[in-house]
Amino acid sequence: MMNRRTVLSGALVSSIALLSAGGLAWAQAPAPYEPNQEMIEAAKKEGSVVWYTATDVQVSEKVGSAFEAKYPGIKVQVERSGSERVFQRISQEYGSNIHKADVIETSDAVHFILFKRQGWLQPAVPSDVAKSWPAQVKDPDGQFAAYRAHLSVIGYNTTQVKKEDAPKSHADLLDSKWRNRIVKAHPGYSGTIMTGTHALSEALGWDYFEKLGKQRIMQVQSSTEPPKKLAQGERSIMADGNEYNMFMLKESGVPVEVVYATEGTPIAIGHAGLLKNAPHPNAAKLFYAFLFSKDTQQLISDVGGLRSFHPEVKEKEGRTPLSKIKILYSDPAKLEPQIEDLKKKYEVNFGT
Amino acid sequence: MSVSISLPMPARRGRIDLSRPIFIVLALVLGLLVILPLFWLAYYSILDQNGQFSLANFSALVTDPTLRRPFLTALGMALGVGALSCMTATPLAWLVARSDLPGRTAIRALVTASFVTPPFLGAIAWEILAAPNSGLINVAYRSLFGLEAYEYLVDIYTFTGLVFAIACYTFPYVFTLVVNALERVPSDLEDASSMLGGQLSTTLRRVTIPLVLPAILAGTMIAILQALTMFGSPAILALPAGFHVITTKIWSLFQYPPKPGLAAAAALPLLIVTVMLLWGQARILGRRGYTTLGGKNSDPRISKLGRWRWLAIAFVVAVLLLTVLLPYAALIKTALTRTVAEPLTWSSFTLHHVNFVFFEFSATKLALRNTFLLGFMTATIGTAIALVIAYLVTRRSVPGSQMLGYLATAPVAIPGIVLGVGLFLSYSNPNLMLYGTLWILLIAFLTIEMPAGYQQLSSAFKSVHPELEEASRILGGNRMTTLRLITAPLLRSNVIATWCFVFIGTIRELSATILLTTSETKLVSVIIYDLNESGDLGAISVLGIMLLVISFAVVIIANRLPVLGGQRLPIAR
Amino acid sequence: MSYLELTRLSKMYGAHPAVKDVNLSVAKGLLVCLLGPSGCGKTTTLRLIAGFVEPSEGEIRVGGRMVSSPERSEPPERRNMSMIFQSYALWPHMTVFENVAYGLRLRKMSREDIVRRVEAILDVAKLKALASRYPGELSGGQQQRVSLARALVVEPETLLLDEPLSNLDANLREEMRFEIRRLHDQYRYTTVYVTHDQSEAMTTADLIVVMNQGRIEQAGSPEDIYKRPRSEFVAHFIGGANVLKGDRLSGDVVDVGGVVLRCGSGDFAAQGPTSVAIRHHDINLVTSAPAPGETNWVPGTVTRQVYLGSHRDYLVTLSNGDAIRTVTPADIAVPQGQAVWLHLPPEHCRALAH
Repeated sequence: MMNRRTVLSGALVSSIALLSAGGLAWAQAPAPYEPNQEMIEAAKKEGSVVWYTATDVQVSEKVGSAFEAKYPGIKVQVERSGSERVFQRISQEYGSNIHKADVIETSDAVHFILFKRQGWLQPAVPSDVAKSWPAQVKDPDGQFAAYRAHLSVIGYNTTQVKKEDAPKSHADLLDSKWRNRIVKAHPGYSGTIMTGTHALSEALGWDYFEKLGKQRIMQVQSSTEPPKKLAQGERSIMADGNEYNMFMLKESGVPVEVVYATEGTPIAIGHAGLLKNAPHPNAAKLFYAFLFSKDTQQLISDVGGLRSFHPEVKEKEGRTPLSKIKILYSDPAKLEPQIEDLKKKYEVNFGT
Repeated sequence: MSVSISLPMPARRGRIDLSRPIFIVLALVLGLLVILPLFWLAYYSILDQNGQFSLANFSALVTDPTLRRPFLTALGMALGVGALSCMTATPLAWLVARSDLPGRTAIRALVTASFVTPPFLGAIAWEILAAPNSGLINVAYRSLFGLEAYEYLVDIYTFTGLVFAIACYTFPYVFTLVVNALERVPSDLEDASSMLGGQLSTTLRRVTIPLVLPAILAGTMIAILQALTMFGSPAILALPAGFHVITTKIWSLFQYPPKPGLAAAAALPLLIVTVMLLWGQARILGRRGYTTLGGKNSDPRISKLGRWRWLAIAFVVAVLLLTVLLPYAALIKTALTRTVAEPLTWSSFTLHHVNFVFFEFSATKLALRNTFLLGFMTATIGTAIALVIAYLVTRRSVPGSQMLGYLATAPVAIPGIVLGVGLFLSYSNPNLMLYGTLWILLIAFLTIEMPAGYQQLSSAFKSVHPELEEASRILGGNRMTTLRLITAPLLRSNVIATWCFVFIGTIRELSATILLTTSETKLVSVIIYDLNESGDLGAISVLGIMLLVISFAVVIIANRLPVLGGQRLPIAR
Repeated sequence: MSYLELTRLSKMYGAHPAVKDVNLSVAKGLLVCLLGPSGCGKTTTLRLIAGFVEPSEGEIRVGGRMVSSPERSEPPERRNMSMIFQSYALWPHMTVFENVAYGLRLRKMSREDIVRRVEAILDVAKLKALASRYPGELSGGQQQRVSLARALVVEPETLLLDEPLSNLDANLREEMRFEIRRLHDQYRYTTVYVTHDQSEAMTTADLIVVMNQGRIEQAGSPEDIYKRPRSEFVAHFIGGANVLKGDRLSGDVVDVGGVVLRCGSGDFAAQGPTSVAIRHHDINLVTSAPAPGETNWVPGTVTRQVYLGSHRDYLVTLSNGDAIRTVTPADIAVPQGQAVWLHLPPEHCRALAH
């Protein structure tokens, strides 16, 4: 679900549209808002809210039902698919002047740079976001904010590798004893990994990847795959992959363990935004605020293993809290123009 | 001798010959199917990022090694697949069609099983079997010989592994064509050779093989082209091995930021190679007359294997084991155990995956419905169109009909993934919004399956003596009546085979599908691919087995239905 | 009044003419044979008449109605013809009954009507017992008769036959020849019959059309063709004749390599080369010299002699090197190498202008 799935259609449409996109909307961030009775009444009149999401279907369905329970009379239509599909679909619909979505959410921060450039987003800042979200993870103009985040971590299979032998850092992965033992996802197919590659290349320099490329790694596409390969025992070490998949596996008893590298761990941020042409503007605003509320954020942490920027969210037992992890951020605005170059360099070193 | 027939004879029905209007309609339909997406691809291939005319995409093909290498790799892979398919399928076909080997019907059914298997499913099955560390074969190998961890016997994540995994699912193309051809060679031709003192092997080499050579070549060519344009298996096996073939490279060009122009340009060498292959085949076939099904027929000759029997059995078992039995055993095992690695015992047995697929996974029902709906529609419409085109072309009944043949064959040169882009570009503009509906998939499948359907039926047409049709014409049947009452029934088994071919081709299509489905138009193949990304092998196995069972049921029913000619007529007596 | 009319008919395949400038008119109810060696254009002519091939030039009319021209060609199914094919072209997926009933079914006749007609024709063709068999289960002769029945049951105005007997063995062929003629006489459809076998043509045809290299060499009654060939090709192809090349001297006198022959019939070129044709069995062979002054006597030497039971076949070489074939009664035995005299009676010598 977090992979960068064949994009083409949406991206094509948007890149065509981008060529002709004229005026850009630059506005000041609006004042923070809280759901009020008036908004709830108006939303009830609208009757439903349409949510385009890339969050795991089980998690998003639970979020939807929680909203319906909290605001009876408003139905949530959860339209869940992979990040790139969501991107593709909205680009396409907007390209054809179809406005069906109220709130949109994907796991790829770069998408929101593009949405914003297109002027599709409605500035809105829920009070939770205004109060407690760090500046790096929300738009200064108030057009989007981090609904969720997940880390791309190192991991190992505990039956094949002893804790003391396990790598502690990215540098450890370059040890020749891990030749042929590492599985790794691909930045060309996964937004998470692209973000991570960007962050790591800034922190460690590209020659880290040059050396890693010589380790005869097993290359998979999506960032959800390395944890599964680890679980199968096909490879003993994963160089990158979704932390939340590791949580799920570990909590269901699979012998895998997460490593937070000493140099830092890349984070991938999934934004959510409110659409300017939302067909149900009030329900949309209500739902948008709901997404960032403490309860919802707690839910996605518990059920989905996702990271939240809400300070009151409590991490599950056994998970290292975000505050104790050295995090490597990647600025999507800086990343966007570099994507092509990174892919090219990656292919030179990794063969694909 | 004085019986006089003096009843008045009614006049012939003055019906108009529809072949010309049908020709025009078909030309338009095919043109739309083939030319429109190609036009958009061509258009994009000569544009740069800013929408200006530029040949940069084509020069990048030559100068950029990351584009050159995948092409050469793919070529090598395709030739390897072709050779392996041909070497396996030809002897197998002979054994099934012409020898006294026991269980020939069962062998045929099992080969069909490997044909029905989507190649990407096969690739996944082989991942389960032959991944160097977790692969079941390697696990068994280590425990059998008490070897250390990380020792392995086979590694599917290699170039040879990929060739093997693809050939497993392309050799049925050669097999089917060669078996059909072998069954049509009149035995008197072989008898003539034996009469002249030819040994079995001499007769085989000098008479039988040359007679079915066109079928062998045609089948091998299909296998090569299939491999060249295949996306699923390389996406699953080549990427972990650290190399690209041309299709995965093209796919990677559609990742963000997409470069459809470069991708379109990268499809050009594929087009050239394909055209060359087709041209070569036409030259080989064109030089000889192969009108074999005439007024007289005879039984195919059955050879006694004698002491070669056991060798033949060993060969057949090995082929079937590798292509069908082992992969499906692996899938069944994976479907019924919680994780891939644990052996299937009473305690590890679980219906968790079955339950998940049928009751928890919401996409299953819709995907199944879509898949089979599209399969039926594509097979029926596609076979009908291919039949008419093959007829018009082989009988040269309308001036310019050759062109239809080229149009119908052209999509073979377009990798599914590229076609997917072309179709998307063609049918997602506001005036013609088919994207997001099943129609765009139907169009994609019709286009993709047209070459195979057309090739099969046109070679079948060539084997029907034209006088059989002329006899109907002169007695008052126009072209379409003749096609319906004479030619189609004569080609009944070919028509059914083509229908099944297209049906199965549709069900296992992934490369164009993956670009054209949306959440409402999901297909089983896409679900499987999605599940593979999330590593859910158990669910994949359940879906895969179900796909096979249902496809098989359809094929069997199609072959048994009395309307479709299930009852055996002594045609080939 | 002619029924089937071919006017200046030509068919080109690329630059190669398969049929060239053919003019032919056939009266209703006649049986015409197109006779010639393979590749002479007779089958193409037949297929032009059937409508399987469209002409490059010229036209075909049937009963005054234009059916083929380069601009417009009526499809075969609209011509009310039937055809019998060399391969019989029986549909292997239909029984004998179904094969025969096919044409009637296309005419939307009632079920009972079809059954009645099919049974009647099967009776005529002695196929009644085989009605439910498939073609693959029949002998060659039976298949031939099914093919005939299938063609005749629709009561065509025109019947076309393409080498119908070439796949049968000799006895059956002879029998079928008469059968075809008998059926023709019974129903009197206009029939065009293609064959390369002259005796087949002789026994069946009202009118023989000899074709060569896409052209009509000669058309006429069997007797006409046989007795009065108008070209070397026809003389050779029909019945076997010696053709001696020479020059016309005057009137009916032709000089063939020093031998002077008077010819009783034929075309005499105004001037220049003229050949003389004479059939093998019209030549008398004697061992004693004829009386001097007699015309049309030629000396020669026997170079080959074959005993054929009913007669002997001789090859005699003339002094000018020409070889002449002749037959004699079986009891005239002349050994090889002996000098002989040949009498070529003027009434049998036919002059052929070049």
